Amino acid sequence: MLSWDIAVNRAINNAVPKVYKVLSEHPYVEELAKRLREAKLEVLNNLEKYVEETLQSVKNNGGNAYYVHDEKEAQEIVGKIVGKGKIVVMGKSMVAYELGIRKYLESLGNEVWETDLGEFLIQQANEPPSHIIAPAIHMTKESVGKLLKEKLGGVDENSKVEDMVAVVRKFLRDKFVKADVGITGANAIAADTGSVLLVENEGNIRFTTVAPQIHIAIAGVEKILPTLADAMIEPLVQSAYAGLYPPTYVNLTSGPSSTADIEHNRVRPAHGPKEFHLILVDNGRVKANKDSVLREALLCIRCGRCHFHCPIYRAIGNIWGDPPYSGPMGAMWSYIVKGDAKPAMYCVHSGNCKEVCPMRINIPRVLEHIKNLGLHSQTKM
Amino acid sequence: MYHVNNLSEIGKILVDNLNRYYMPFPVDKKVCSGWAKDLPRGGDTIIYTSCMYQIEPAVGMFLKLLPSISSFKGLMPLARLVKPSKSQLDRAYKILNNIVKALEKSGIKPGYLYEEEPYSGAILLEMGFLEEFREYAKKVVSLFKEKGAKKIITVDPHTHNALTRYQEFVKHDLEIVNYLELVNYTKKVEGEFTIHDSCLYSRFLGLREKYRGLIEKSGIKLVEDEMITGKDTSSCCGGPLGPVDLKVSEKIAENRAKDLEKLSKRLLVVCPICYVTLLPHFKGEIMDIAEVIF
Ligand code: SF4
Repeated sequence: MLSWDIAVNRAINNAVPKVYKVLSEHPYVEELAKRLREAKLEVLNNLEKYVEETLQSVKNNGGNAYYVHDEKEAQEIVGKIVGKGKIVVMGKSMVAYELGIRKYLESLGNEVWETDLGEFLIQQANEPPSHIIAPAIHMTKESVGKLLKEKLGGVDENSKVEDMVAVVRKFLRDKFVKADVGITGANAIAADTGSVLLVENEGNIRFTTVAPQIHIAIAGVEKILPTLADAMIEPLVQSAYAGLYPPTYVNLTSGPSSTADIEHNRVRPAHGPKEFHLILVDNGRVKANKDSVLREALLCIRCGRCHFHCPIYRAIGNIWGDPPYSGPMGAMWSYIVKGDAKPAMYCVHSGNCKEVCPMRINIPRVLEHIKNLGLHSQTKM
Repeated sequence: MYHVNNLSEIGKILVDNLNRYYMPFPVDKKVCSGWAKDLPRGGDTIIYTSCMYQIEPAVGMFLKLLPSISSFKGLMPLARLVKPSKSQLDRAYKILNNIVKALEKSGIKPGYLYEEEPYSGAILLEMGFLEEFREYAKKVVSLFKEKGAKKIITVDPHTHNALTRYQEFVKHDLEIVNYLELVNYTKKVEGEFTIHDSCLYSRFLGLREKYRGLIEKSGIKLVEDEMITGKDTSSCCGGPLGPVDLKVSEKIAENRAKDLEKLSKRLLVVCPICYVTLLPHFKGEIMDIAEVIF
């Protein structure tokens, strides 16, 4: 059997039953998912207004907020904030990957480290991610051991997973402590408070958002929710449908660190970052939002559940779609951000993805629409 | 590992054939209609095969030719040579006759359009040629009207799906119903089988419980596993991907067959495409339910 077949079968057999179990043990999650869909639709129906509100709310908190149209603008702004010769730690961000932020910062002479274990592994292997929340899913335990032996030493292909994790932990702890800038994505952003929500299990995102003096969050405009109450739902739903419930950590950041310990006067900074920057990204999303069928894709919360139910992903997943967007959601997103209709052509409309998607996105219908657009225009095929 | 065929070129050829023959490939219409002997021609209520059971066993030959389609200006004569074998046709004809018998037992005597029967256009819809599908759907609807058909009884999931979706593309008042909604099992059967669901019946058209009910009432014991035959987990056979990328289509079929083999060496299917796609990969016996319970 090919190594992809082995790796993906292991992942499916682990992940799929876990999600069913989580959903049956916590039936309220399905209700939350419905509410989340409604809240996200409210934003998509009034996108401009919510983008404005979010930018203003972040400024009210003493943060800096930007709206960027494309990769170039995003790189320029991040480059200006970071500068040269810095140590940067990154918490897994698909949007940062989409915009080529790591490579760009490296080209400016910065030392940049991915801190999510999966993302760290693919950075070390110089490979694209193969799953939206488990980017190194294509690697078997044995291949990880081999890679770490070459890059960091201390373990080999026969080592226990615990030992492999410990080696990376030791290496990255040093980087967290020395880092000047932390870059993350955002699972949700509250328009009314300018708060950013991040969900994780490893603790690397906490480190990234708090240890360095500067925190930059980069996210697509579709991550905005009307209120902080709505935004708080997203990490619960996302982690449940990823089969990782309860999540180990949920981080909420509203501007630079602050204290109100002297006369209850809120002043910034305190121990955490001195600077907070939010970069809201269009890069094809605004155009997609104007198309009533494509708009559905913007509801995706990146739980990665559809991947594990898709026969195409199982057959060719790690090379299907434009990195970091693979799987059924990736076939939609490859078109939105890269104008690439080719991955959509591979949809066999098995319909499993629509059955399991927490956002009730009829993915096969979105892909059918993309196929039609691709076949009748000069888009990348 | 994956290489997408030249789809615009394939689309042009499909549309050209549909305009000429009401079929996506040039097919001898007698191959399609040869199963029906004494059904009335036309009528209010017709059985509609879309030539799927009849021609599907030969489609693999076309799929193999597709990657090099632009270099074949003379594909038509080549295509004419591609014909299902006698045993493949006998099997298809038996399935269709069994379906008619089951309909008759339920008090329905359908008519049939014989060689005037058009293909549904499903391949255009499934490949994403929505504009071409709209144009073709209009033609098929007027043809049905011209022939006086009011109620269309479909016998396979791809045709049923295409026809139920006509409404989104062209206004009409035809009633579209699938034979599974109208029949009961007619034979008591013993033994164990596993089942490969049709994606379209199961997850798009709401017929999953219908055929499972018929199968179980007939006495068959279905061997199931939530991770293999569950509604959210049962995979596609890969067949509909054939025109896009045959290699990946076959890889999916191989994966699917391997999973199903773990449950039983006897497999039931409800779709002619699933049958043809899984056949080379499944180590065991595959039967359409219409061969078994009617
Ligand atoms: S499309 Fe749905 S199932 Fe797939 S990653 Fe997005 S939210 Fe999850």
